[in-house]
Amino acid sequence: MEQINLPIAEKGVVDQIRKISDDTWDIKVFSPGIAKSSKAAQFVHVRVSEDFRPFLRRPLSVGPCSGDYLRLIFTVKGSGTRLLAQKSTGDVIDLIGPLGNPFKLPEDDEYPIIVGGGIGVVPLLLLDDQLEPDTPRDFLLGVRTESLLPVDEPEIKHRNIQIASDDGSIGFGGNVVQLLERKLSKLQSNRVVVYACGPGMMMYALKQVCIKHSIKAYISLEVPMGCGLGACQSCAVPRSDGDGYLLVCQDGPVFDATEVLIEPEVLR
Amino acid sequence: MSVDTTIRMGSLNLRTPLLTGSGTFGYGDEFGSIIDYSSFGGIITKSISLKPRAGNPPPRICETQSGGIINSIGLANVGIYNFIESKVDTLPMGKTEVFLSIVGDSVEEYVEVVEKLEDVSGIAGYELNVSCPNVRRGGLDLGGDKEAIAAIMSSVRTVTGRFVSVKLTPHYPVIAPVAQAAVDAGADALTLTNTLVGMEVDVERRKPLLGNVTGGYSGPPLKPVALAKVWQAAQVVDVPIWASGGMVNGIDCIEFLLAGASALQLGSVLFADPYAPGRILNEMIEYCERHDVTRLSDLVGKLETR
Ligand SMILES: Cc1cc2nc3c(=O)[nH]c(=O)nc-3n(C[C@H](O)[C@H](O)[C@H](O)COP(=O)(O)O)c2cc1C
Ligand code: FES
Repeated sequence: MEQINLPIAEKGVVDQIRKISDDTWDIKVFSPGIAKSSKAAQFVHVRVSEDFRPFLRRPLSVGPCSGDYLRLIFTVKGSGTRLLAQKSTGDVIDLIGPLGNPFKLPEDDEYPIIVGGGIGVVPLLLLDDQLEPDTPRDFLLGVRTESLLPVDEPEIKHRNIQIASDDGSIGFGGNVVQLLERKLSKLQSNRVVVYACGPGMMMYALKQVCIKHSIKAYISLEVPMGCGLGACQSCAVPRSDGDGYLLVCQDGPVFDATEVLIEPEVLR
Repeated sequence: MSVDTTIRMGSLNLRTPLLTGSGTFGYGDEFGSIIDYSSFGGIITKSISLKPRAGNPPPRICETQSGGIINSIGLANVGIYNFIESKVDTLPMGKTEVFLSIVGDSVEEYVEVVEKLEDVSGIAGYELNVSCPNVRRGGLDLGGDKEAIAAIMSSVRTVTGRFVSVKLTPHYPVIAPVAQAAVDAGADALTLTNTLVGMEVDVERRKPLLGNVTGGYSGPPLKPVALAKVWQAAQVVDVPIWASGGMVNGIDCIEFLLAGASALQLGSVLFADPYAPGRILNEMIEYCERHDVTRLSDLVGKLETR
């Protein structure tokens, strides 16, 4: 079992905030305790409002970390993320983390394919950093259209991210699971391991493709949460064997794709 | 000025009036080092049933425009056998008082669960969750809620001498008869209240936000409702009342004390602010200092209605 650091409460300080696309923001936060111990797919539970409006914290994946800093990259979807987008340099953000279990890194003979859908790319950016620099990999990212890219041009270049867009405005015309299938048909290695995070429909399709090709897939799930700490049972996802539920905050957010039933409706 | 925060209730002597609301604090150790137990008088576990319950289909939690939340956990819990085998050892005994919440589908189930827990030492008492929909079904069999609740309480009384609070729903238009029935049947305290039944709709998708369609409505919007029930019950019963419903700060808590509550359960607030217990305790102490009150317990029931 990999050593996982216990979550801590930390008041992060906004170092820099920038807009990446129409509705996506990237905040660099000074949060040494969490930044230094976070592993890919772990998340922080973020307090968005001091006066309980909205009421709940927002679970956000830890993005790339460097030294004492971590990045939170998010899409404005509702009142909570809208408040976060209004932060400015020097503002304090109340964080609890790192929470959840990280991705299991590939074995020496495994070939990792990283597959992100939209803002689901965030934990995968940290994974990309945590793979050994000389580990060959494919990094695929699907978006609806170019203007919704959650990462900027330099980051795409630097990480060699291959883009798929539903409307063909950038990169491969089609969805990212179709792009994955293409990759798989060309690859020699039968020891492929897929790392994925994205919207429900994408995760649903991705699971089917991975089963069809008998490929191991680790998926990171995002669902509404209460405590984020395993106390309230709000974040349940059904087990695929029908025997009850698993908790995303405690048993996940990373699951073997075959372990959980993927219900597109429930995943964000 | 130093303010005495201790609360005495029968055989119980709590360090502070703050407790956790059942279901919001797991089995007591999940919050780990994030929570400061010293601000609590005690904790109350997730409701435990005879058999394990998987709970409801997701999504199980959502927010409301009105500033609250709705949950449809469905009393997911490990069941009494697993609880005794794997959870008892992790209870924060010694750090604070531990109360166990019990739920059942029948009188016999409540009794069986409590009987099994009687062998576990160090437990301060029980809270009987008789405010879930299933009890209503059982309630009808027994001739109504009042009769069902009295039957559960008096049967549990035959197997335990420990402190027992009965947790009621806010849905009774008139709380007095049910409250009185629970006390007559041997309750040492009443918990008021559980959640209201509520739902939210996503109009774009024409779907409910919760997998179970309806759920339990909690958080700040519940406060006035719970406050009224606490006050109404305090007029008719002479056992201590444990308040539950929407408290997020010290002033909310003072309101409940004035209305007649002796203990204050923090529930949903812990999700947003796990540091709430310490903060709220300080806010209550500040209030006392401002009003020259030397003991928090002196405020209980001191509402001036005319
Ligand atoms: C996620 C969640 C789970 C709950 N589970 C239980 C439970 O198992 N048993 C119970 O008696 N009350 C349960 N409750 C009700 C709370 O204990 C409390 O009475 C209610 O939420 C009102 O208080 P609050 O507004 O401070 O949360 C639950 C509440 C929430 C939010
Ligand atoms: S969010 Fe509370 S158990 Fe997962």
